Amino acid sequence: MNYMRKISCLFILLSSILFTSCIEIIDDILIHDDGSGVFKYTVNLSSSKVKINSILALDSLKGKRVPELSEIKEKIYLFKKSLSNQKGISNVLIEENYTDFIFKFSCNFSSPGVLQTGIENSISEISENQVFLDPKYKWIQWDGNVLSRTIPDITSDKLKTLDSKDDELLKLGTYTAISRFDRKIEKFDNPNAKLSKSLTATMLKVDTYSLKENENLIDNRIFLSKIKN
Amino acid sequence: MRLFFLTTLLLCCKFGLSQQSEKYIPREAVTVFTINNENLFQKISVDELITYDFMEEINQELFDGSTNGKTLKDAGIDFQQKLNIFYGKDNQFEVSGFSFGIKDTTDLFSVFDDFEFISMLNGAKVYGSFFNKLIIKDKDALLIRVDPIMTYVDKITDSIWYAQGNENPFIQYFDDNGNILDEKVYDENEETTNDFIPDASDDPNVKNYYELRDSIESVIQKNLQSMVLDEIYNQNISLSSTDKHFAEQITHDSEGIFYMDNSRNIDKANGLWYFETILPTLYNDIREIYDGNIILGDMTLLDNSIEFDITALYGEKLGSIYKEMTDSKFDKRVLSYIPEESTGYFTYNINLRSAYEKAFEVIMPILEDEKNAQISMNVLTIQLLNEFVNKDALFDTYKGSLFGSFNGIKKVKTKKIEFFYDEETFDYAERITEAIEEMPIFTIGFSTKRPDIPEKILKHISRLTSQLKNEGGFWCFQNAILDAAPLYMVNTNGLFIFSNDAEFANNYTKGYGSKAISPKKAKAIKKSGFMYANFDLKETINRLPPDFFPARQNEFIQSLKGKTGVIELVSNDTDTKRTKLKVNYSYASGDNSAKHLLDLINALYVVYK
Repeated sequence: MNYMRKISCLFILLSSILFTSCIEIIDDILIHDDGSGVFKYTVNLSSSKVKINSILALDSLKGKRVPELSEIKEKIYLFKKSLSNQKGISNVLIEENYTDFIFKFSCNFSSPGVLQTGIENSISEISENQVFLDPKYKWIQWDGNVLSRTIPDITSDKLKTLDSKDDELLKLGTYTAISRFDRKIEKFDNPNAKLSKSLTATMLKVDTYSLKENENLIDNRIFLSKIKN
Repeated sequence: MRLFFLTTLLLCCKFGLSQQSEKYIPREAVTVFTINNENLFQKISVDELITYDFMEEINQELFDGSTNGKTLKDAGIDFQQKLNIFYGKDNQFEVSGFSFGIKDTTDLFSVFDDFEFISMLNGAKVYGSFFNKLIIKDKDALLIRVDPIMTYVDKITDSIWYAQGNENPFIQYFDDNGNILDEKVYDENEETTNDFIPDASDDPNVKNYYELRDSIESVIQKNLQSMVLDEIYNQNISLSSTDKHFAEQITHDSEGIFYMDNSRNIDKANGLWYFETILPTLYNDIREIYDGNIILGDMTLLDNSIEFDITALYGEKLGSIYKEMTDSKFDKRVLSYIPEESTGYFTYNINLRSAYEKAFEVIMPILEDEKNAQISMNVLTIQLLNEFVNKDALFDTYKGSLFGSFNGIKKVKTKKIEFFYDEETFDYAERITEAIEEMPIFTIGFSTKRPDIPEKILKHISRLTSQLKNEGGFWCFQNAILDAAPLYMVNTNGLFIFSNDAEFANNYTKGYGSKAISPKKAKAIKKSGFMYANFDLKETINRLPPDFFPARQNEFIQSLKGKTGVIELVSNDTDTKRTKLKVNYSYASGDNSAKHLLDLINALYVVYK
């Protein structure tokens, strides 16, 4: 159980429909030299709003209860409240657009470790069932010079459960991971990542179908230049 | 003469063998499905059979590994008898099960291996398992399950609980004013604990509320089961002996037989329960209208098709309403609005005005006799509306004739938010773009003699919202469907039509012309009575996205998924006693017809149980 999975819990309970709809996810992290930063996570389901509205009108789907919108809103509110109280986390904002089904989450953090712990704790707090955390799992690791990002389990676990009839939708979905820094990037080891003109950011964009086929697609280690004294 | 005796003997054997186990169907059964096909039974495996919904009530017994790889033939069942599946429910208990003939008891118990002998009952051997009872008399078996309805159990439990001087067992869920506590308040209130409910371990002689209820449920179940079995085996009272329609229907030789007593179908009559409690005399009168409302059906296997003849019987009062209702003239104009490419379409043609007048005549005297202030006020309101409302305008606007078509899955334009990126900075922003989503395309319309009235309504609504606009030949309501796709309304040629098909709104508001259904199909519709439906299963049911339908409809759709062929429903005669319908299901040659029959029975079960 990792914390990206819990992010998806946060954003919905909609998790059961997340990947059977065409989805766009933007995972954007800014890490300053001192380790503090800003994390933004956007889930865009607007291209599937017909489907989502139809699902929300149902009592259950595939044997699972479909949550009421009010329940989703309450969970998001509780998550926001809980995360705001976590040490090292500040300025928690969640924009909810239930017309187009776009959810934007952002917060400031004092270090990547604090961000992970804070999200984990908040998800555990709002989960109805006990959440077993895997303390060894690190979605993001930062040593001051190198940032390692790997695939969130939400993606791999959820994708594995889908059958082939969802493949066409998955091909339309995208997952974009953006990493930003104060200083220049020296190198990175994922050849599919792009470097910004300022050399301070990388962007990796994959479709969710490819991610299902190869869960290592968004793994990346980013090496930064030395801090000038 | 010898030939006569031989024929008589054979006939006796035939009926003697083929009509045995059905006499053990309890009179409480409301729905009965009978399968009468030797080949079908021999071919189907037990494991396959128990996957059907109609076996769900009893499959716990069978789905335990003892059936692996076995067919019904291996299960010692006599194929020369009918297999009768039944289900019934009243306000005290639910009864379900099936009756069948036995060829080999040893083989039977290799499948029903959890049953143990319990007792004898007027020459019948009673076996029991955790859930069910199996009763064998001569070569006939009845597998039955009787479950008390929980509301009935609760009622008796409460009366005993309070008679013993106990407090409300759910008192912790209420505040001082008797209002139900909010879940959060309940959780936060430390005083609301369950401590006052005695634990069985504190005093084994004192039962808490739930233990008392379990005991009562167990006793009631035992008593009800005894009562049902006593009636069948000691008093020879069964559905066959109490319902002449069933007794006659069960003699048919068709491969599948269907019986449903709508007047006793409590679940379908849930709306009347309020009246039963509050206004018992009115309830009895209203129920009287439904008396004799029985649906009977015969399924016959033909070459590459199954024919299903349905007869809906009514009592005199309901029949008189239906007769007036179906006394209508078909509106031929609808034919040009059903496209040839439509894979599923229906027409429903009733005379709402006549039905209203007759229902008014039948139901109002019943309501007028009721000595209840609320009913009296309602009667007065209805009487005044009847006098003051312009019924000509009302029933000319909607006469009661409907048609609809499913025109496949089409891609419809919706709006979506897209994020676009600055390739140099990787900053991103939103923009609105067009999206394409798949949606089932439906067209539904009705005949009207007063097109000015819906037009008037639309004009006024369009002043209230910018979402509704007159686009010339049609009205368009943006985002009307699932808050995303537009709904088009066409008011033309004496028809008012709703559709989510932009192509129809833009190009075919005057009708599909040469692209409308063929004259042959149109003839079939015109020849049918008040109702006609035609569905290509592969192109309709299989293509319907399950996400768009609520659980109940979805269950039905799922039960027919994967099937191919065409289902055609035609209504025939309607008089004051009955309406006849015919459903024909045709499929490709070489398909397993017996399997199709079971699938259809299953679909019916899902609808009617």
